[in-house]
Amino acid sequence: MKFRSQRVAYLFFATSLLLFSLQIVFGFIMGFAHMGYDVLHDVIPFNAARTSHLNLLVFWLLSGFMGAAYYIVPEEADRELHSEKLAVIQWAGLVIVGVTAIIGFQFEWWEGRKFLEIPRPLDYLVVVDVLLFLYVVGRTALGAERFTTTGSVLLVGLTAAALLYLPGMITFESQVMDSYFRWWVVHLWVEGVWELIMGGILSFLLIKLTGVDRELIEKWLYVIVGFTFLSGILGTGHHYYYIGAPEYWLLVGGIFSALEPLAFLGMALYAVTMARRGGMNHPNRIALFWTVGCGIMSFVGAGFLGFAHTLPQVNLWTHGTIITAMHGHMAFWGAYAMLVLAMISYAMPNMTGRKLFSGWAPEWAFWISNVGMIGMTGAFAVAGIAQVYMERKIGMDFLAVQEAVEVHFAGVVLAACLLTVGIGMFIWNFVQYGLPNDEAVGQGG
Amino acid sequence: MLTKSQARLFFIGGTAFFSLIFVMLTVDTLRQIPERQNTKAMTASVVRGKTIWDDRNCMGCHTILGEGAYYAPELTLVVNRRGPEWIRIFLRDPQAMYPGKRKMIQYDFSEEQITDVIAFLDWIGKIDTNGFPPEPDLKPQVALAKASVAAVSDRPAYFDSVCTACHAVAGQGGTFGPALDGVATRIDPVALDTWLADPQKVKPGTAMPNLELSDELRAELVAWLSTLE
Ligand code: HEC
Ligand code: HEC
Ligand code: HEM
Ligand code: HEM
Ligand SMILES: [Fe+2]
Repeated sequence: MKFRSQRVAYLFFATSLLLFSLQIVFGFIMGFAHMGYDVLHDVIPFNAARTSHLNLLVFWLLSGFMGAAYYIVPEEADRELHSEKLAVIQWAGLVIVGVTAIIGFQFEWWEGRKFLEIPRPLDYLVVVDVLLFLYVVGRTALGAERFTTTGSVLLVGLTAAALLYLPGMITFESQVMDSYFRWWVVHLWVEGVWELIMGGILSFLLIKLTGVDRELIEKWLYVIVGFTFLSGILGTGHHYYYIGAPEYWLLVGGIFSALEPLAFLGMALYAVTMARRGGMNHPNRIALFWTVGCGIMSFVGAGFLGFAHTLPQVNLWTHGTIITAMHGHMAFWGAYAMLVLAMISYAMPNMTGRKLFSGWAPEWAFWISNVGMIGMTGAFAVAGIAQVYMERKIGMDFLAVQEAVEVHFAGVVLAACLLTVGIGMFIWNFVQYGLPNDEAVGQGG
Repeated sequence: MLTKSQARLFFIGGTAFFSLIFVMLTVDTLRQIPERQNTKAMTASVVRGKTIWDDRNCMGCHTILGEGAYYAPELTLVVNRRGPEWIRIFLRDPQAMYPGKRKMIQYDFSEEQITDVIAFLDWIGKIDTNGFPPEPDLKPQVALAKASVAAVSDRPAYFDSVCTACHAVAGQGGTFGPALDGVATRIDPVALDTWLADPQKVKPGTAMPNLELSDELRAELVAWLSTLE
């Protein structure tokens, strides 16, 4: 790493991987419950497991993004972080809020609104913590002589993500209104501003790992995020088809969300082309694997599988079924989980000065976890298609259908075991790197 | 060839333009929602029901308007499907209704809270959702059977709203309990009456719940069941 203060990123990455492991534990609890073994029902009922699974996911991704920003911003601004101490305080705040939230969920301290279950008092703390984060990275960027496009796109994405958290904090008496504005957070995050963050991080990684000219990479970055908003903003309509909003959303949401995969196709082509142009000869091959993999898998999970159920005439039947879970898993994995893992793979050798990227373990971690996730997605898909036909098309009773698809959840759990092995190997590699090291300061990467 | 500043302009211009349209559509949507969701019918009870729904995170197992979790039934049309009486009995003791099946949490709601939850679900069921959830379209035969049964039978309303969740008659109804066609040939009226009064007493451990039926209701049900030969 170039600057000493970049090392705070380590705290965030370690937190990320810890919370990720916990997310997987809750995933297994739900997988078993779907197989008919809801043995933990009295201790951790399904809704507590699900809420924990989703919020841990969001927390570990945000922690990863923040770590990435603390690593990237000094480099793009060509100076130390504004204050390393504030960054550590901000990290501690994030951990405290996150842990409190997850414990609170086990005692029904929550709001029953999917993805936004964090109770209101903690929401305010999240806001304070995120403001502190934006202050530290913002001051670093503003105090720089010049700040790059890559860095700006990343910061604009992070700031917009913080702003879009606010509509989720309004209280509504009507379920319809509640749902309408819930999507301003959930959809406009993952299919809007988070893609700016993704674009910024990918661009940084590609510049570093491929050696292709920065101007060229950043030009295409603008084009891709341009497509994101062109399609993604009105694409929010694909969540407004059947919740009580006007009928024109079927048309608007259908057309624009059908264009959303273009942005992800852009990400995939972007990563692949730049990697090939650069000749793939950076020594940290595994970071390039995760980077290019992120581009490709985001297209598969978000673009392709999103398109599969986004047209209103399809969504009428698949809305709120296991089909949605199939898409949700692969999309989050490809676009955001792999992104954070790519950043960690790139940053660790630079922060610690140890080059542990060449053994078999990191490479196997990449392949095994991806095969595991593809397997899970396949099993969810089979269960989902069966559910749509039996329950929605033929009108069979819900519970009878669920019993019929129990066997596919055995598939989900088996594939999840593979994923877990892969992630376990990734974490083992991470632990072996050890802590950031002052001797690594000032070295390129 | 496209330059970087043109690319930036495309990004900023596109974002501003589509954000503006989105805000305009939102304004129009907010104008239309009161009628589509029937705001006038949103009584205090409905609003309390929504609070219970949020506080207990029912969405962590169920979907409503197609949003939530995929572990428990879609509830948008549940009042239509099961009827308020059935839901009331169910919510008093969910596990008694489907013993040995996937579990819902036993909430120990008061009768007023149950009333509020039902009011909320009833209001949800009347929202104009552009046709969600759709009628099953591959089920024409079954639909035919349904129509003919409804036409010939004059069964007690209570049977339709509660007992059919578990029992079928003439091929229509749940399969959790035995079909009741010809039940009169198997069980005489006195035994039927004792059974309905307290199934557990007749057959300890049976999966049929005690529905705490009033004397008149029981008499009405027994009279009708005795005609099923
Ligand atoms: C732990 C998961 C869980 C939670 C939380 C939960 N339910 Fe359920 N619910 C179920 C399951 C599973 C069923 C299917 C019937 C059964 O097995 O008991 C069900 C069935 C129902 C039914 C009957 C649906 C039908 O079509 O037969 C209603 C009504 C209902 N729940 C309402 C609620 C309400 C209201 C809440 C919140 C206060 C809630 N549920 C919370 C799991 C849950
Ligand atoms: C939660 C599901 C459930 C509900 C609701 C329910 N039953 Fe039952 N019922 C059962 C089950 C299960 C059995 C089989 C009991 C056994 O053999 O242990 C049964 C058995 C019976 C029998 C004996 C049938 C036979 O052939 O032996 C009669 C009669 C009966 N129920 C009538 C009713 C009536 C009338 C109602 C409505 C007031 C009703 N049941 C509601 C589950 C239910
Ligand atoms: C990285 C980007 C994406 C992520 C992380 C993601 C994730 C998710 C998640 C978690 C849900 C479930 C939300 C809920 O019910 O609360 C969902 C729903 C949905 N997504 Fe995506 N998605 C992404 C991109 C896309 C794209 C590009 C499309 C369209 C082409 C799409 C189409 C849909 C549709 C139609 C639904 C609604 C499903 C339903 O009706 O139940 N998604 N997505
Ligand atoms: C490894 C073990 C995992 C298992 C067994 C697992 C299982 C599950 C199950 C059973 C559900 C609930 C579906 C329902 O409501 O019935 C769920 C939801 C979800 N999980 Fe996982 N999961 C795992 C890992 C992951 C990972 C790694 C991610 C993200 C990258 C993820 C993202 C999600 C999302 C976004 C949802 C919500 C989906 C929706 O609402 O449509 N899960 N998971
Ligand atoms: Fe979306």
